[in-house]
Amino acid sequence: MSSIVEVRALTKRFNELVAVNEVSFSIEEGEVYGLLGPNGAGKTTTISMMSCLIEPTSGAIMVDGYDSVREPGALKAALGVVPQEVALYPTLTAAENLRFWGSMYGLRGDALKRAVADALELAGLADRAKERIEKYSGGMKRRINIAAGILHKPRVLLMDEPTVGIDPQSRNHILETVKDLNAAGMTVLYTSHYMEEVEYLCDRIAIMDHGAIIAEGTLNELRDVVGGMDVVAVKVAGATPEVLERVRAIEGVEGVESAEDALEVLTRSSGSIMGRLVSTLESEGAHVTSVSVTEPNLESVFLHLTGKSLRD
Amino acid sequence: MRNLLTIAAKDTRIMVRDRAALLVMLAMPLGLIFILGSALGNLGEGDSLDAEVAIVNDDTGETGQRFVDALTSAEEIDAVFNIHVRDDAGEVRTEVERGDLTAALVIPADLTDRIMRGEPAPLEVLQDPGSTVSAGVWAAVVRAGVAQASAQIVAGHTLAEALSTPPSAGPPPGADASGASAGVSHGYPGQAQELELDAVHVSELEVELEKEVSMISYYAAAMSGMFLLFGGMFGAFSFVRERREQTLARMISTPSSTAVIVGGKALGVMLIGALQFLVLLVGTRMLFQVDWGADVLAVVLVGFAEVLAAAGLAMALAALGKTERAIGGIAPAFIMLFAALGGAMIPAEQLPSWLLPAQVFSPVYWTIDSFLQLMQGGALVDVAPNIGAVAAIGIALLGFGAWRVRYE
Repeated sequence: MSSIVEVRALTKRFNELVAVNEVSFSIEEGEVYGLLGPNGAGKTTTISMMSCLIEPTSGAIMVDGYDSVREPGALKAALGVVPQEVALYPTLTAAENLRFWGSMYGLRGDALKRAVADALELAGLADRAKERIEKYSGGMKRRINIAAGILHKPRVLLMDEPTVGIDPQSRNHILETVKDLNAAGMTVLYTSHYMEEVEYLCDRIAIMDHGAIIAEGTLNELRDVVGGMDVVAVKVAGATPEVLERVRAIEGVEGVESAEDALEVLTRSSGSIMGRLVSTLESEGAHVTSVSVTEPNLESVFLHLTGKSLRD
Repeated sequence: MRNLLTIAAKDTRIMVRDRAALLVMLAMPLGLIFILGSALGNLGEGDSLDAEVAIVNDDTGETGQRFVDALTSAEEIDAVFNIHVRDDAGEVRTEVERGDLTAALVIPADLTDRIMRGEPAPLEVLQDPGSTVSAGVWAAVVRAGVAQASAQIVAGHTLAEALSTPPSAGPPPGADASGASAGVSHGYPGQAQELELDAVHVSELEVELEKEVSMISYYAAAMSGMFLLFGGMFGAFSFVRERREQTLARMISTPSSTAVIVGGKALGVMLIGALQFLVLLVGTRMLFQVDWGADVLAVVLVGFAEVLAAAGLAMALAALGKTERAIGGIAPAFIMLFAALGGAMIPAEQLPSWLLPAQVFSPVYWTIDSFLQLMQGGALVDVAPNIGAVAAIGIALLGFGAWRVRYE
C-alpha cells in the first residue's frame, strides 16, 4: 500500500495560540482514517490547512503527490471536502447547488448532469432535487452537503464532523454513505468527536488533543493503550463534583468520566474497587442504581491519556 | 475563467430570488423618481416650460417690431412660453422681481438706429432669479435670435448701400460675392431678413430645449446613479453571508484561485447592476417618458462604469464589515454620502462651496453629470472623462477590497 496523504510536522499558530502543533500522519490509499478529539483539539484547523483554506505556519502536506504550497490547484482537484457547516445556498435547489459545485470542479455538460444525478441518488434525494435547500431538514441538508463534496469523484475525501446536530436516521445514512464511498475506492479522512462513529468507520485512528496527536493506530492498537483495564459503569443520581473528587481519590481508579446520571470509572482492578466505589458514593449522598463492568473503548483511551472526557 | 462566470451566474440567480433586494434596487428608485419628479417638476408636460414672459418694445424703428413679431408668431416658441407684449418697462421689471413673470425682454428705443449705425445695440433681458432654468432658456433664445438677426440687418443694409453704388466698386470688403448676389436676386434684403429671422429663432430654440431636463428626468438620472450603488451593498451582504455560511471557504477549497472567486463575486454584482440599470432605463422610459439621450452606447457605458463602482464598493464594504449587520450600518452611510455629494438629493451646484472639491470622489457625481449631459444632447466624447473617473473609483475600491477582505 502507498500513502496518498502525507502530513509532516504540520503546525499552525494564531499569534500566541498554537492550534496545531507538529502533527504528522499518513493515510494509505483506500483507508478510512479518523481524527478523534474534543472540540478545539485542532481537527478542523488541520482539515482547513489540508484543503488550502489556511496556510500552515510550518510543515508539509502532500495529497496524491501534490504539495499544498507549490501545487495547490492540483491538490485541491484531488480532494473532496465536506465542511462541518452545511455550506450550501439556501435559496437554490439541491440540483442547482450540486450543478454549481460540480462546475467549480470543472465538470461540464453531460458529465455534470451524470455527476449531479449520481450524487442525488447517493444522498437518497433524487425525488426532491428541485426543492430549495432552505426547505430541507437538517439531515437532508447534511446529505446534500456530502453529495456536493463527491461530485467530481475525488481520490481523497475530507469530512469534518459531518454528522453534527442531525437525527439518528440521517446519521446512519451518512455513515453508510461513507462506507459505500470507501468500498468504491475512495480514501476518507473523517474527523469527529463521536467515538462510536470513528470506531465504526475507521481503519486507523489518530486521537488529537490541544493541537497534537496523542495516540494513533487501529482500534485494537488503541485499546491496548488501556490494556488490562476495565470500565466500571455506574448509574448514579446526585454525583456532585465533590463526590467525583472522592471517587478519583480511591486507590486503583485510573480515571473518571461523568455524564448526567452515569459514571465511568477506568481501573485495572474492577473486582476490588467496586465495593469501595459504591460505599463512597452512598456515603456522600449519591444514590447508586446499577453497576456493570465493560470493555474499554476509545472514550476510555482518551480518558486514560488526558484524564478528561471527549465531551469536556 | 469559466469558474468566474459560474460564480457570477450563481450570484445573479440568488439575487433575483431575493425579494427584499429587488424591492430596494428596483421598486424604490422607480417610486422615488415618480414621487420626486412629480413633486418638484413638470411630469407629463414633455419639454414645455410653460413660463410667463413679457416683451416691452420701446424701439421707434421697425427692427424692434420685427423681433416682437418673430418671437410671438413662432409656434415652437409659443408652445413653450406664454408671451405677453407690454408697454411699461418699469411695471414689467417689478413683476419679474416679484416672480410673477419668469423673464422679460426690453427692446430699447434706439435699437434700429444703433443697428443701422453699426453700433452695439444692447437688449435688456430680465430674469426671475428663482426660475433660472426657464429664464435661462428665454435669455438664450432672445440672445441667439437677436444676434443673428442683427448681423443680417446690418449685412442687408450694407448690401443695399453697395447696390446703390456703380458696379465697378465691387463687393464690400469681406463680403461673399456669390452669397450676396443670391440674396439680392430674390428680392430686397428686408424680406430675406424676415425669413432668416424666423428660421434662426426656431432652430436655436430647438437646440436650447434639448438642453433642458425635466425634474423627472433629473431624478431618473440621480436615482439611477444612487441606487446602482445599492447593488454594491447587496454584493457585500452576499460576500459576508458566504463567509459566515462557509460557502466561501468551500469555494476556496475548489481548484479556483481567490482571484477568480473575487472576480466572480464582482462580476456577479455587475451583472445584477446591469439588469437593474436595464430595468431602470426601460422603466423610466415607459412609465415617465424619460429621454436618456440619443447616444445609447454612451448611456450604457456610463451605467457600466457605475456598476463597476458598485462592484468595487461591494468588495470594499466586505473588507470593512465583518457581519451583514455591520455592513447594513456603514453601506447606506457611504452611499448616501456619495449621493449627496453627487447631487442625487439636491443639485450638486447648490452644495456649500467647501464641499464641492469632495465631489470628485463620488461616483454618483460623475454618473449623474454624465446622464444629464447625455440627456441634454451630449455624446460619448463629452462624457468619456466622467466614465473614466467612475471606472477609476470602482477599480480603486475593488483593489482596496481585494487587498483587505478576509476569506475566513
